[in-house]
Order: sequence, then structure tokens, then C-alpha cells
Amino acid sequence: MDLLDNYKKAWENQPEEACKFSTIEIYKLAQLRSSSIVKWIFIIGILEFVILNSLYFFVDMDEAYEEYKKIGLENFIYYSQILAYLILFYFLVMFYLNYKNITAIDSTNKLMKKIIKTRKTVRNYVLFNLGYMALLMIIVMVAEINLQIEDLNTKQIILIILLTLLVTAVALGVLWLFYQLLYGFLLKKLKRNYKELAKLDSVN
Amino acid sequence: MKLQKDLEKKFLSDFETNQNIVHKICRIYTTDRNAHNDLFQEITIQVWKNYAKFRGDSKFSTWMYRVALNTAISLYRKSTRKVKTQDFSDVAYKIKATDYDDTEEVQLKALYKAIHKLNDIDKALIFLYLEDKPYKEISETLGITSVNARVKMNRAKEKLKNILNP
Repeated sequence: MDLLDNYKKAWENQPEEACKFSTIEIYKLAQLRSSSIVKWIFIIGILEFVILNSLYFFVDMDEAYEEYKKIGLENFIYYSQILAYLILFYFLVMFYLNYKNITAIDSTNKLMKKIIKTRKTVRNYVLFNLGYMALLMIIVMVAEINLQIEDLNTKQIILIILLTLLVTAVALGVLWLFYQLLYGFLLKKLKRNYKELAKLDSVN
Repeated sequence: MKLQKDLEKKFLSDFETNQNIVHKICRIYTTDRNAHNDLFQEITIQVWKNYAKFRGDSKFSTWMYRVALNTAISLYRKSTRKVKTQDFSDVAYKIKATDYDDTEEVQLKALYKAIHKLNDIDKALIFLYLEDKPYKEISETLGITSVNARVKMNRAKEKLKNILNP
């Protein structure tokens, strides 16, 4: 007889739970709000969309626009902003649809895939934003240098380029790290479980 | 309105009858009473939330195994209000039926203790094995092929045996 068979028998004969909930208690529990990981991903995702887009409130747009006009970038900024909003809308819709699609009646494997997909939607949006920010900084830098090319010597130009790249890299690095920590904390367990379940499937 | 009330009634009766399954899952995935109740709550919410989608083409308990395990493995986050209370395995089995055998009680305690040392996926596999579920159901619940379910199950059993009998 297998060692586990004895334990299985003990399992089958185990007494019923001593602290059962009454119908009323179950009713009350069912009405409570879920505090699942998916809900947190949804809340944090929405916060990210809001925070990234409210950054514009802290910038004096008129002043910034004047500056862009001076260096001849007003058209670029105008159209890229329209594009950025269209992309934001697309990501928001995708994010919501992914979230809505998550249900505990899927198989464990499928459920985990869907949760990871929802998170990736926001990650891609953040990546898109960081990329856009970096691109903007570089374009502004090039335009500024171009405007004052006669007044600057080579050493100054190199210094400006290096400084801009450094500031961009540090800013993006900090944002990225913060982002990783936030989701790393939330999804550590899920990722570990997903890997555990997917291990064999990828081999076969 | 009446439909909603009927649904609620049916859910309550189905869930109450099968709540022992949920308690067993909570006992496997948590180690103290607070966390147990916390997970129980989240499972109740998830089962109710999805109950309208339960078609009745399978047994309610079969359907509930999936929702409850999914909640324990993927949706549940340990509550921050977790207070360290007495270890569960020492207190949970004080009440026992008269015909309940002492050795089995000891074995059961050892079994729960060993299962706590497994990872979340192995816990689910061992739980479904102990509940005598067929491989078809296990593979469908976890979303892996039957072959993989068998391979994984054998490994999980080996791990469990090694913990029980090092």
C-alpha cells in the first residue's frame, strides 16, 4: 500500500469544519467588496493613466508652447499630442476590456494569463509614455542646438548632448524602477505560480 | 427582482451545503484563523460574483473547486490586517467525532503540515488528488494537458512523500 493511501484515508475521514458559517453570514460575506489582486491592478492602472496625464497641469502650457514655437516645433507638438491622446484612448479601452475579461471560472492557467495581459497593457502604455518623453527631450535638444549653432562651440554642443541624455536616462530609470517595484510587489506570487504551471507546457 | 432573489437563494443553499470544501482549501492555503476567514470571504465573493454564469451542466461542487482554487492561487492577496494568531494545525481539530480514530487525527495533522510546505500549484494538485478528482477534471481545472497533469501530480506526490517521510 502506498504511503499516501493511509493519509488519503485520514483525509477522507476528517471531520467537518467546526466553525462553519451560517446562511446569514454567507449572505453578508458575499455582499462585501472583493480585495483581489485584479482589483488592485485595476486601481493602480487607472491611477497611472490619471497621474501620467495630469502631469500637464503642472506645466505652464502657454509658456511651453511659446518655447516650442521659438524653436519651430509647434506643429510637431500639436500633432503628436493628438496622436498621444488617441493612443491613450486605445490603451484605456484595451485595459478595461482585459480587466472585464478576467473571471475566476476560467482554468487556472488561462486566468493567470489574463491577469498578466492586463498588467502588460498598462506597462506598454507607460513604456510608450517614457519613450515619447525621451523622444521629445532629444528633439527639443536638437532644435535648440540647431537654433544657436552659430553661437556654440563644439565643446558646448557635446556638453549639452551629454547632459540631456544623462537627465533623460536618470529620469526614465527612476520611473521604470518605481514601476517595477510597484508591480513586482503585487505580482510576485502570481508570476511564480504561472512559471510553475507553465514549466512543463513549454518543454513539451 | 424576483429572479435575483431566486438566484441568491439558490446560491446560498448551494454554497452552504458545500462550504466544507472551501474550508479545506482555506486550511491548505493559510496558516492562521484570520487569513483563513479572509480567504473564505474572497472565495465567497468570487463564487457569488460568477454564480449567474454557472450553467448547471456540471455539478456545483465541481464548478466551485475551480473558482475557489483560482481565488486561492491567483486572486487572493494576503490581507495587511493579518494578525499572527495561534498556529492552525494545533487547534483546528479539537472537536472530533466519537468514531474518529486517533491515529488518523495525527496523520491528518501531519498531512496538513506537510502540504503547507508545498508551492501553490502543488497544493492544488495534492488537494484534488486527496478529493479523489479524476485527471480529466484536474487538467481542466488547472488548464494543462492530462499528460502534464499526471507528470506534475507524480512529482507533487513525491515531494509530499519526502516531506512526510524524510
